[in-house]
Amino acid sequence: MSIVYALLIVVLLSCGLAVLILLAEAVLVDYGECTITINEDEELKVEGGKTLLATLMEEDIFVPSACGGRGSCGLCKVQVEEGAGPILPTETPQLTDEEMESNVRLSCQIKVRSDISISLPEEILSLEQYEVRVDKIEELNYDTRLIGLELLDPPEMDFTPGQYIQLETPPYGKTPEPVYRAYSIASPASEPGHLDLIIRRAPNGICTTYIFELLEEGQTLNINGPHGEFYLRDTDREIVFIAGGSGVAPIRSILYQMAEEQIERKATFFYGANEMRDFYLQDQLKEFENKIPDYTYVPALAQPRPEDDWDGERGLVTEAVDSWIEDASFQGFYLCGSPGLIDAAIETLTPKGLTEDRTFYDKFT
Amino acid sequence: MKQSPELEDIQRKMQPGRISLNGFLGSDRRPLAEILDHDHNRVRKLRLTHQEIADRLKFFMKKARRGLGTPVTVEDDFVVRAEEWRGGMPCPWPHPGLYRKGIITLQKLSTGEKLQWTPLNVHMIREHGFYEGRRSDCRLDPEHVARVLNLRTPDKL
Repeated sequence: MSIVYALLIVVLLSCGLAVLILLAEAVLVDYGECTITINEDEELKVEGGKTLLATLMEEDIFVPSACGGRGSCGLCKVQVEEGAGPILPTETPQLTDEEMESNVRLSCQIKVRSDISISLPEEILSLEQYEVRVDKIEELNYDTRLIGLELLDPPEMDFTPGQYIQLETPPYGKTPEPVYRAYSIASPASEPGHLDLIIRRAPNGICTTYIFELLEEGQTLNINGPHGEFYLRDTDREIVFIAGGSGVAPIRSILYQMAEEQIERKATFFYGANEMRDFYLQDQLKEFENKIPDYTYVPALAQPRPEDDWDGERGLVTEAVDSWIEDASFQGFYLCGSPGLIDAAIETLTPKGLTEDRTFYDKFT
Repeated sequence: MKQSPELEDIQRKMQPGRISLNGFLGSDRRPLAEILDHDHNRVRKLRLTHQEIADRLKFFMKKARRGLGTPVTVEDDFVVRAEEWRGGMPCPWPHPGLYRKGIITLQKLSTGEKLQWTPLNVHMIREHGFYEGRRSDCRLDPEHVARVLNLRTPDKL
């Protein structure tokens, strides 16, 4: 029995000591002012003690993160040249051997405790946080909504059609921390003070449940962006868009661009759904045929119902692509939808000459 | 049952609102170590391995994905459907990688029995022997999965 008591005392003492150390660090330890040097050029004077991710965010530098800094998504990797200390056990699961050798670190796990030198891509440095007001919620079909956002501060976003933003869902219900999710911009870049997002409800999704059950017109939110490398390449190539689900969003933004700039390249948009009730914005996507010089819209239904009265392409969207495209060796292919759709499109087109350098899709899919 | 600090941390990540809205534990209040241990023993009694169960789920998942959201008939007795969304989900266990956001539904035509699971479930069963907690959205009871998916168990030998 005395051994049990002895063990209990040791455990209690250890716990007490750990709590004391944490309290002492929080109350007594002052890291003072630290300098973050970015790309051997820009210097930021910051208060030490917080994570690198949080510190950079306070300085309006938005390193992508999808898990709210819990070290589980691995998206907030940053190359740290010096000043971060040894790699932490909470980082190693998310880092490959190669990344560890290149001093890549998880910015949500390491703390700024001294001067630190980091490298960041220009794309991240150009990101900004925006306060926006929800000015429109439109039901597009049974599980998809168009959310209109008016930009308040800053009042405009300079983006390239095809790019996406990260929307911050505030804490609600059982979700204790803000959660960020990526959504493509569906509106024209010529209206920089307003953004449309097209959002499909995901069961058990933290962000989409909020958007479908709690979000109201007039509410303010935070977004950051613009992100992404999915945009129309400036070449003479023929253009093929392939989309399903909410994958319409970035392509709609690009179609506005093509209409406004009167781009004369031949373009075909293959859009797939199961049945008529899954489609949305059909009239608008068809109407672009009258606004873009050489554009064709090809919707495909996999399983139309008799009452759908469907006289368009029947079968999977990839089957429509397969029957329309004999040679895929010269076009630029812009894919947007679920990973399964992207895989299937690539599988269909690769034997016909599709190459990686002419295939574009968002990494977040 | 006591469990390591690592499993404590993983169990915290499984709570509602962390990785997914409803989490992975349902109404299960047992320590994660106990949940894992209990399901491991059930799988052993079936003379199966977690890998075999994950392989069978993956087989149907791959067939379902070919339908791009439409139902697909497999082995004449199963109708499977995969719905996917853009984006990925991390595993509660600490390692790199995101798993597709999606849900696979399966109906066995001869019995009417149904199953549903996610790509992350396949990974968690294969690598961690985790079938989710009682009454969670995608709880997969090993016996139920084995019976519905016609896995070779002692009663079928």
